[in-house]
Amino acid sequence: MIARRRRTNSGSDSKQNGISSQTSQTFVSEVLLDTDMSCRDRTNEFFSAAKLLQSRQGNGALAQKRNPALRQRSEFTQIAKKIGRDLANTFAKLEKLTMLAKKKSLFDDKPVEIQELTYIINQDIQGLNKQIAQLQQVARSHPNARHVQSHSNSVVVSLQSKLATMSNDFKQVLEVRTENLKHQKTRRDQFSESPSNTTYSNHSSVLFQDEMNHSQGATGGADVVINMDGLDKNRFQQQMQLVDQQDDYIQDRADTMKNIESTIVELGGIFTQLAHMVKEQEEIVHRIDSNTDDAVMNVEAAHSEILKYFQSVTSNRWLMIKIFAVLILFFIIFVVFMA
Amino acid sequence: MASSLREKQILALKRMLNFNVPATKATTTEPQWKVLVYDRFGQDIISPLLTVKELRDMGVTLHLKLHSERDPIPDVPAIYFVMPTDDNIRRIGQDFQSQLYETYYLNFISAISRQRLEEIASAAIHSNCVSQVSKVFDQYLNFISLEDDMFTLRHQDRDSISYYALNKGDVKDTEIEHIMDTVVDSLFSVFVTLGTVPIIRCPRGNAAEMVAEKLDKKLRENIRDARSSFFTSDNIQAGQFSFQRPLLVLLDRNLDLATMLHHTWTYQALSHDVFDLQLNRVDIEESVESRTPAGGVVKKKKTYDLQPFDKFWQAQKGSPFPAVAEAVQVELDSYRTQEGEVKKLKAAMGIEGEDESAISMLSDHTAKLTSTVSSLPELLERKRLIDQHTNIATALLEQIKARKLDVYFETEEKLMGKSVLDQSLMDMINDHECGTPQDKVRLFIIALLCGPPMSDAEIDQYLIALTGANCDTSALSYIRKWKAYTKMTAAPSQYAGGGTKTVGMFSKLMNQGSQFLMEGVKNLVIKKHNLPATRVVDALMDMKSLQDVDDFRYFDPKLLRSDSSGIPRNKSPFQEAYVFMVGGGNYIEYQNLVDYAKNKSNAGAPRKVVYGCSDLTSATQFLKQLERLGSEN
Repeated sequence: MIARRRRTNSGSDSKQNGISSQTSQTFVSEVLLDTDMSCRDRTNEFFSAAKLLQSRQGNGALAQKRNPALRQRSEFTQIAKKIGRDLANTFAKLEKLTMLAKKKSLFDDKPVEIQELTYIINQDIQGLNKQIAQLQQVARSHPNARHVQSHSNSVVVSLQSKLATMSNDFKQVLEVRTENLKHQKTRRDQFSESPSNTTYSNHSSVLFQDEMNHSQGATGGADVVINMDGLDKNRFQQQMQLVDQQDDYIQDRADTMKNIESTIVELGGIFTQLAHMVKEQEEIVHRIDSNTDDAVMNVEAAHSEILKYFQSVTSNRWLMIKIFAVLILFFIIFVVFMA
Repeated sequence: MASSLREKQILALKRMLNFNVPATKATTTEPQWKVLVYDRFGQDIISPLLTVKELRDMGVTLHLKLHSERDPIPDVPAIYFVMPTDDNIRRIGQDFQSQLYETYYLNFISAISRQRLEEIASAAIHSNCVSQVSKVFDQYLNFISLEDDMFTLRHQDRDSISYYALNKGDVKDTEIEHIMDTVVDSLFSVFVTLGTVPIIRCPRGNAAEMVAEKLDKKLRENIRDARSSFFTSDNIQAGQFSFQRPLLVLLDRNLDLATMLHHTWTYQALSHDVFDLQLNRVDIEESVESRTPAGGVVKKKKTYDLQPFDKFWQAQKGSPFPAVAEAVQVELDSYRTQEGEVKKLKAAMGIEGEDESAISMLSDHTAKLTSTVSSLPELLERKRLIDQHTNIATALLEQIKARKLDVYFETEEKLMGKSVLDQSLMDMINDHECGTPQDKVRLFIIALLCGPPMSDAEIDQYLIALTGANCDTSALSYIRKWKAYTKMTAAPSQYAGGGTKTVGMFSKLMNQGSQFLMEGVKNLVIKKHNLPATRVVDALMDMKSLQDVDDFRYFDPKLLRSDSSGIPRNKSPFQEAYVFMVGGGNYIEYQNLVDYAKNKSNAGAPRKVVYGCSDLTSATQFLKQLERLGSEN
């Protein structure tokens, strides 16, 4: 399923870029081609150069022995990796669910599977949320250097935002599913005499079966009072209709309640979305050189300050020299003329 | 597959950030955190192309400069995107030594030489982390693409390849050689990224010819080297579009100095001229009334990004300024109506609370509310863009009014078009209200270059007047010398067909409703005319015979034997051209070429013209260079 999806994606991509109707095969090969073309892999050259240098230096064996052992990864990275993997898995599940939920056919519906997947994904999301909170704890508990701190912070934030987009997707899928279910129901109602209603009326008639039989028995028993009986029957039917109407009304009420409920949930969703939006606004516009401008400005300011200082120092120096010159002059005059 | 140069560069960058594996769908794969380390060249290349958010989406948690203080982050891979300079390589060696990261992916902006590669290798051996270096790549991305059809070579270090560096009196051969190598290296990167081999045309006897020769040699060597050629599959790839190869027109700045000093009237070029647009970002100093006890006006600096995904910018950057002002107004109105709708909805929700029909209406309204909320970010974004353009346009208008740029523009267009002036040059120079001293010098240089020939006595007279108006006339001495040297007798005729017309009262009345009080600023509409560079490109693309183009040299790197005959073999017109200015370019020329390509395409001959220049120089900067040249000699 995923493969097929991807293929359609790539197809649309290639179409967007002006290449008419291509199979995914050529698209993939083209991408590879492109890779080969605009950059050059010189890893092998580097390694051979390194080997050459090593053997030339003669301490190759020693270096080989002290081959840098894979450093123990920190707890944080491990957890982050695990969460990332779980996220990817959940995404795959979600994609599957999307495929299932988007099916519009009446007969190829798999409610059980969908239910199960929905449940699993729900569990996954909750679990992931907990895990991310835990990760945050871990990141906070180790006071680290500045860069490590910001690195772990952005890892957490990006995981969170991924989770948020995923839950949003999940919500959308569920909405699609409900919409589809509604559609299916109306269609079924159209073509098959509103199954829910029929069961309902059957059910209601079961309640009154007794009375019905009774009245029928009554009509069979006494032929004389046909008139009365008819009236009675009429009245009874009216009563039944009334009950039916009442039931309809109750059903309507229930539907409305459900609607309101869903509306409230929707509103809750809107508010979370709003909160999310406010947070996201910050990052969208930044470019990587934005803070360097400040740095340049600071450096320039510092430079001008230093210049100022330099000037004041040089002017002081001149003053000193002048004073000394005058002093020496006087001294010489003193020595020559007075002594 | 990406079509434009910019898209291709973005694709290449994304591939690099994905550890040099072609990018797949990001959401389905496991995220990989990494640190991006770049030098200032890398920063200039990346910053107009990818925002921080896009980098985050690619898994980049930190982006750091190579030469800044960096703390070790022991368990993350690091991607380096740097120039292969000695300085950078030494710094990478230090990073190895202090064991900053888990693994190293080294990407070099242009090809790294064998010797430097060995230096890195020995540094890695010394600090014992050869196995930690997992990839070494040459990226060939040594250029900055600003628009889909525009690129420049340098931003921060651009003085080294400017017009001044090429034309200064005491320039050494080695310096020129160095500049040429830099330019050729970047151009080579451009065509590697494009994956096509161009046919090169250039004029004789100047810097452009040197660049052309070197580039031809470099491309030739690469094609011959069958083992590692970038262009082997060229035919297959190009065949999907057409059998056409692009034309590369290399031009020298000396072809046309007047355009560099010209006052302009289109939005993008005005922003560049007045506010010094840098890497698609413009700085504007706003005077904000602040409530400080001193009561002074604090100058506040604001920065705006003008990104290609900004639709308004995309549509209006080539329009004359009054049209932009109108468009901003229209945009503002449509935004206001949208905002009004949202407000109305809010009011409706408030009233409906107690109503009987509330319940049935509720579901309807929440659906509307949901859609509104989901459209809110879009609306906010739009508001931000409108604010941005309003501010820029207001600031531009202030400048135009203060310096009377409209008058300058009109006069200069008339000079270029050889029509009669309303106001004599002398009057404008002596008028103290009219523009800065620099504006006056620019005007006079254009008059000298394109106007009716002047006698020495006349020029001296003007010089006295200019000095009286506080102008630095050293640039003029260079221009006079340059003019005598090149003997450009044909120069004035090159601008034929220029000129503007003032739109009459009617449209002025239309403008009165606009928020930008355009009064006192003439509503000028540019008549289409081609600048010299555009005329050359037109002649070369269509294989027209034009007097100045006839002796252009012709290089075809694909031919086995290089012939110096310079006779074009290809007789069919070209559909795609890359125009490259050696010694600086500006947005006026770019806009002119874009308009030319658009006109041609509308006329049924599809044309694609990409403009490139060694550096983007605003008129002020260019005048400074001329002044330096004049005062040195």
